[in-house]
Amino acid sequence: MQTKKEFRKRDFFYLLPLWLLSLIVPDADDLYSYRSKEFKRRELYYLGAVLLLPLIWSDPHFHHLMVLAGIYAILALGLSLFLGYAGQISLGHAAFFGIGAYTTAILTTHYAFPTFLAFWASATTAATAAFLIGKPILKLKGYFLALATLGFAEIFLVIVRETQTLTGGVIGIFGIPWFSIAGFSFDTYLKQYYLTWGVLLGLFLFSKNLVRSKLGRASLAVAASEDAAKSVGIDVAQIKIKVFVMSAAFAGFAGSLFACIMSTANPEAFSLGFSTLIVMMVILGGMGNLYGPIFGSILLTYLMDILGRYQEWSLPIYGVILILLLIFFPDGIGTRVGIRLIYLIGYWAKKKKRDEGKL
Amino acid sequence: MSLLIVDEITKEYDGVRALDRISLEVEKGTIKGLMGPNGAGKSTLFHLISGMEKPDSGKIYFKGKEITSLEPNEISALGVGRTFQTVQTLGNMTVVENIMTGMHLRLKGGLISSGLWLPWIERMEKEALKEAKEILDRLGLLGRWKSPASQLPLGKQKLLEIGRAFAMKPELILLDEPASGLTPTEVEQLSERICQLKKDGITLVVVEHHMGMVMEIADEVVVLDHGKLIAEGPPDVVRGDSKVVEAYMKGSPR
Repeated sequence: MQTKKEFRKRDFFYLLPLWLLSLIVPDADDLYSYRSKEFKRRELYYLGAVLLLPLIWSDPHFHHLMVLAGIYAILALGLSLFLGYAGQISLGHAAFFGIGAYTTAILTTHYAFPTFLAFWASATTAATAAFLIGKPILKLKGYFLALATLGFAEIFLVIVRETQTLTGGVIGIFGIPWFSIAGFSFDTYLKQYYLTWGVLLGLFLFSKNLVRSKLGRASLAVAASEDAAKSVGIDVAQIKIKVFVMSAAFAGFAGSLFACIMSTANPEAFSLGFSTLIVMMVILGGMGNLYGPIFGSILLTYLMDILGRYQEWSLPIYGVILILLLIFFPDGIGTRVGIRLIYLIGYWAKKKKRDEGKL
Repeated sequence: MSLLIVDEITKEYDGVRALDRISLEVEKGTIKGLMGPNGAGKSTLFHLISGMEKPDSGKIYFKGKEITSLEPNEISALGVGRTFQTVQTLGNMTVVENIMTGMHLRLKGGLISSGLWLPWIERMEKEALKEAKEILDRLGLLGRWKSPASQLPLGKQKLLEIGRAFAMKPELILLDEPASGLTPTEVEQLSERICQLKKDGITLVVVEHHMGMVMEIADEVVVLDHGKLIAEGPPDVVRGDSKVVEAYMKGSPR
C-alpha cells in the first residue's frame, strides 16, 4: 500500500476547519478545566457571539428562535445538573417547567403580581414541588425513577386540565403581561433575547460555581458510586434532593420566562413529548459538561423549526437525524467534537483511499 | 476501652451462615489483620461494620457508641473510613477532586453560598486544595493530580482510595483487600503507606488474601473460616496454628 508522508494540499482543507473548531470547542480530556474557576479565551468568544449575534443578524424570526433556545437551555442546564452530574434520570421536568409557567400566569393575571416577583415565586414553587415529590421518589433508581417522574408529569397535566377555575383547563391562561423590571418592559424579541440569555448567563455562572464546590463533587460521587460516596460520609439521599430541587428551580425560572414571552400558558406545551425533548437536548449536547445542554437546545430548536416546513415528514426525519447524531456523536455534540470530527474525517479519507485501492 | 467492638454478630444469606457469632475487638492505634480463605465471611464482616448491610443479631460498637443500625454515611461521619474490594475511585473526577471528595464532611458551604461562590468559600476551597495536594504528595500521586482518576493504573487507584479515606481524618480505616491485583513492588509500597497511616495514629483493619503482607504489617491477626472465628493472636502464633493451616490448605486449590 502506498503511503505518502508529504503534506498534501487537501490537508489544508481539513486543518483549517479543525483549527477554527479548536478555538471554540471545549477539550474533552481536560476534566479539570471544566471545573476550574479560570475562564478560557474561547469562553469569551462564546460570550461575544451571544451578545453581538442578534445585533448583526437582526431577523425577528432568528431572535424569536434564539429566545426559545435560551429558555430551553435554562431548562436543559438545570436538568444536566441532575442527569449529567448527579447521574439520575428525570422525565418529569416539563412538569416543573409547567409549574413555573402557571405560577407566573396565575400570579400576574389573577392577582396582578409584578412579573419580576412572579419570576422568583415560580422558581420557589417549582423547587418546593420538587422537594415534596423528591422526598419519596428519589429513593428509586434508574428505570423506576424515570417512570415515577413520568407519572408525576402526567399527574401534573391532569391537575392542570381539571382545575379550570384556576388554570383555565385545556384552554389555558391568556394575556400574561410582558416581563418587566422597574417599569422597563421587555416587549420586543431583541429585548427578550437579552433577557433570556442574561438569565441563562447568570444561571450558567451559578452552576459553574456549584459543580466545582463541595456539592458538585458530592453529586459527581453519587453518580460514580453511591457506596463510595457513603463511605466518605456523603448523605446520598440529601444530595439527590438538593440537586433535584436546584434543577426544578431552574425549570421554574425557564417556565416563568416562557409564560411572559408567549403571554400564554396551556397544558399542551408541557406534555410528555416536551420532557423527552429536554432529556434529548441534554444527551445530544453532552452530559457532564455545562456547555452541552446549551448547544443541544440551540441545535434542537433550530432542527424543529426547519423540520416544521416538511409537515407530516418532520417527525420521521427528526428521528433519523437524532439516531445519526447519537451514532456519530455518542458523547454528545458538546463533548469531544474535535476528536470525533478528526476521527470521522480520517475515516472518510481512508475510506476513499481504500475504495481507490480496490479499483 | 477498645476502639471497635464487634459483639456476637451473626449474618445469614438464604439460610447460609456467612458469619456465626463473631466477636472481636480492635485496640486504638493498632493494625488488625482479617484473614481467611474465599467465602470465609471477611467481606461480609466489613459490610456490617461499615453499615452497608445489617446483621441478623449481635451488636457493633465504635468508640463506645452503638453503630449497628446506623446508615453507612452516618458511620463514616463518626470516623470510619473504608476502601472497597473492587476499587471504587470516582472515575468522573480528577485525582485531586477524589481526595477533596473525601474531605466532604470537613468542608462547609450550602447550595446558595457555593453557587454564588462567596469569598469564604474561595478561601476554604483553596485550603482544601492545598491539603489535598499534600495528601497526594505523601501517596506519591502528586505528579498526576490533574488527570482523571479512571486513567490511573490499578495500584495507584488503590492508593488513591486509601487517600480518599484518609482525607476524612478518620480514626479507623477498613481496608478491603488492598493488595489484590497488585504487583509485588506495588504491594511493598502499599505496606509502607499503611505503616505510615499507623504512625499517624490511625487504627486499621485489613482484610487480606495476601498472607505475607498481613503477617508483616499486622499487630494482631484474626482468621475466619466458613463464618467462624478459628484463630486469633499475634501473626507468629497464628501462622503455626494447625486449624489455620488446615483451613488454607483445603480452601485453596492452588
